[in-house]
Amino acid sequence: MNVNTLSVVFHKLRSHNRKNYILYVCCNFTSLLLITAYSGILFSPTVLSIFPEGGDSRKQIDMIFVMALIGCLVFTIYAAGLFYRMKSKELGVMMLLGASKQKLIKTLSGEVFILSLVSSLAGTVLGLPLAWLLWGLFRLLLVDGPEMALHFDFSCLLVSALSMCIVIFFACAIGLFYLRKVNLMDVVNTEHKNEPLRGVKKWFGWVGLLLLFSGAILGYYSSSIYMSLFQSYSPAWLNVTYAPVFIGLYLFLLHVVVNGLGVGRKNNYKGLIARSMMKFQGRQTVNNMMVVTVLITGGLFAAFYTPMLGTGHMMRTEARAFDYGFHYPYALEQTVPSQAEIDSMAQDAGTSGIADWTNIEVSTLGAAGYREVQDEGGKFHVEYLPIVGGSRFLSESAFKAFSDTECNVPKGQYYAINQVGYKNSFRLNNGADMITNMTTREEIPVTFGGYLGDDILGDRGYYVLNDEDYKKITQGISEEWKEHMVFFNTAGQDNYTFARNFFDDLVDRFAASPQAENYMISSEYDKVEEIVANENGQIYDGDTLEDSGTLSSEQRDSNGFRLYWDYMPQSKTLDSHEFLKIMAVFLVAFIFVALICLAVAMMICYTRSITIAINNRYVFDDLKRLGASPAFLRKEVKRQVSKVFAVPATVGCMAMYFLYGLVMYANDSYFSVDEIWGMIVCLAVVLAVAALIYLVYRITIRQMEEKLEIERRP
Amino acid sequence: MLYVKNLHKSYQVGTSTYEVLKGINLAVSKGEFVAIMGPSGSGKSTLLNCISCYIPFEEGEILLGGQSLAGLNQTQLAKVRNEKLGFVFQDFMLLDGLSVRENILLPCIIKGNADAKAETQVRDLCEMFGISHIMDKYPAEISGGERQRTAVARALINRPLLVLADEPTGNLDSKSSRAVIDAFISSRDTLSATIFMVTHDSFSASFCDRVILMKDGKIWRTMVKDSSGDKMQARSDFQDRLLSATKEMSSDVGTAVAKKEVTR
Repeated sequence: MNVNTLSVVFHKLRSHNRKNYILYVCCNFTSLLLITAYSGILFSPTVLSIFPEGGDSRKQIDMIFVMALIGCLVFTIYAAGLFYRMKSKELGVMMLLGASKQKLIKTLSGEVFILSLVSSLAGTVLGLPLAWLLWGLFRLLLVDGPEMALHFDFSCLLVSALSMCIVIFFACAIGLFYLRKVNLMDVVNTEHKNEPLRGVKKWFGWVGLLLLFSGAILGYYSSSIYMSLFQSYSPAWLNVTYAPVFIGLYLFLLHVVVNGLGVGRKNNYKGLIARSMMKFQGRQTVNNMMVVTVLITGGLFAAFYTPMLGTGHMMRTEARAFDYGFHYPYALEQTVPSQAEIDSMAQDAGTSGIADWTNIEVSTLGAAGYREVQDEGGKFHVEYLPIVGGSRFLSESAFKAFSDTECNVPKGQYYAINQVGYKNSFRLNNGADMITNMTTREEIPVTFGGYLGDDILGDRGYYVLNDEDYKKITQGISEEWKEHMVFFNTAGQDNYTFARNFFDDLVDRFAASPQAENYMISSEYDKVEEIVANENGQIYDGDTLEDSGTLSSEQRDSNGFRLYWDYMPQSKTLDSHEFLKIMAVFLVAFIFVALICLAVAMMICYTRSITIAINNRYVFDDLKRLGASPAFLRKEVKRQVSKVFAVPATVGCMAMYFLYGLVMYANDSYFSVDEIWGMIVCLAVVLAVAALIYLVYRITIRQMEEKLEIERRP
Repeated sequence: MLYVKNLHKSYQVGTSTYEVLKGINLAVSKGEFVAIMGPSGSGKSTLLNCISCYIPFEEGEILLGGQSLAGLNQTQLAKVRNEKLGFVFQDFMLLDGLSVRENILLPCIIKGNADAKAETQVRDLCEMFGISHIMDKYPAEISGGERQRTAVARALINRPLLVLADEPTGNLDSKSSRAVIDAFISSRDTLSATIFMVTHDSFSASFCDRVILMKDGKIWRTMVKDSSGDKMQARSDFQDRLLSATKEMSSDVGTAVAKKEVTR
């Protein structure tokens, strides 16, 4: 090719430096690939229909998405900076030889625009297939369920389009910034230009940690403090109380990069070279470490979801006193399967039949209590209502009939049934001073006596009354407020066939019953509250019967049906066998998110480490000339890279573990047994993530040794 | 050809201002080979960078071929760099992705006249500097001396008014250094090139017609080579004079430091 124009020169230089171009293109491509895949999953109807709007899980996954998005964008902006840094000598030489900035800007911006556009576009195009592929793999290898069919909402591509614009804008803007530098020597020297970190005091370390942890506590509790102080829902800006976390993190990372951990350092010369190199390249390294720490934190937050949920569920299921439990309205006495029918069904499925049949009576009563009433401007007030809603009550003897928990309910008191080991629950009413028979409107005064532990009825809105009180208050109650509750075991070994047949049979009978629409309802629907609201001329703002109509027996394997059907039976076998299937979308979505966050974090660590190798090549060359052995050089490389990997990994893992522990504790001001076990499993997840990070670290070390031409260990 | 009048340049470091050039006045005639020597921090590289239009200066005037360099906009400065100045750097500044021929041609490509005539000029320059055999090789495949001669050829391709060389022999062994200096001499003799070279090396400087010694941002002394008689002997004598002047300048520094110590 005859080299006689600037564009031909650029073309030739491009092919000479194709590795730099490939790195830039790959960074952009990967970033947009991950952003598109993530937004594809996040905005898919499959996920949106399962994650309740305004729910904690939706907020969590959205928050992590924003973190990953910022991480990806920072990564691409950083890649653009790296690209120009590697290209700066070419640009500088051309400017030194008299190429005008306008001419270079025109040629370069065209090149960068096309590179950024094509790479981002390719990432965007392949993002959704990647999401589909990963989701499919999860379905194939991990868990599948009736709601796992993945559908995309293509409006998610708006996020990718916006990200593409940001990527292209910054790529061109950074190029302009480089070329607009008046001092040409800076442009030429940019490739080896350092960003010294000065004024990093020793106290940055402990102040950073202090801010980090105090910020987490302040941020977490600020909302409840605000609510109690101002009787108003906390505004979004209150999240600014988390700011000390980021300031603290930045200070701590600065300290570690410049001063090292600085704890008990006996030999000031140990690691001097690595520390000084890091000190003079620190600013970008610290920025990168900050993003990586946040991404690892977000990734772990998502990764903790499955073990935490799974451990708690498994432990509570296993701890149930009976293999089966179900309840039904009096009106369906003739509809639901009888003891004999269930026994026969069990034997048909290959078990030895059923045993320990226990049938108790449960009555729904109106209970007094307090509720938050929303006012204008985000304010609220708490008001007392003589009937705040309906609760299911049973007598003390009924409770004793199925539970081993010691129970002694004095007259005039009521006890709430909670999960074993739990000391309180925001779902249970512990402030009622009156209960009402909804048929006769008879009332009796009561006081809250405490909690009774039981793993079948715990935390599901069941309360226990003294036998005499129960008899008195349920005098004359109509059948519509009465239910049977049945518990039984399988004689011998239970099996899944029976569990599934029993569940299907029960659902079919409910669905086939007259006025089935009154029974295929959500547990969130409160008939008592609706009646009282109507009587007072108010609008009932809970889930109405119409809302509950969505619970179709056809969707009996859906997450919504299993979690919210008011008459959902309990079965140890079914619940443990089908837990993953029912929670599949939640679990896979969070695993997906965790993978994306960790992948981005590792990519940033890798790229940063390679940049350190490129920027410090001359230092390593000098060290070689001074007689440094390959072993010494390897050690220096490790010292550099270990900070890039180890510090964000350690801080991210510890911070997330602490924050998760804090959340678990703050829920009810203590750790329950299943929370403790959950945290132990999460610790195993942390170790697995640490192992993954170590693997990438090892690969990066190898690559750096190759780039710096350090002889491999024999 | 080049006039520098009362040139002042200072750097700001934090709240302190360091004046690096304190009113430099000098002139370089067409076809002259001039060197600047001085200890580290004397301001010689800063002077070169100001003449090269790499860094702005606060006070004074630089005239190149009658044109003032102060107040030129970026496009005009680029044009000056491309057409009126040639550059040779200590670390060559060749583009690794281009062959020797293409590197030399680069200023023409930037100017937009990389035609057959320019290619002939490239060949002529390569022949003049003894690098014809490596024209199609890449910088990574040739020696340091060959790289620097390539850089000299590149500096001359647009027939500039002035070639600015910053420590051109700083990274070279004595044999390669001599080859580069010979390239400068032959370009001066054959093409009437004007060369302004910053160097630490009295041997390289001894080939120049004139050497300006700088100290503490000022011109300390200007020394002219006696060109009458045997050239070899003249160069050798000039080098001796330069060495003793450098020594005198250093002892002057020593005396100043000693005086300061006594004052304390």
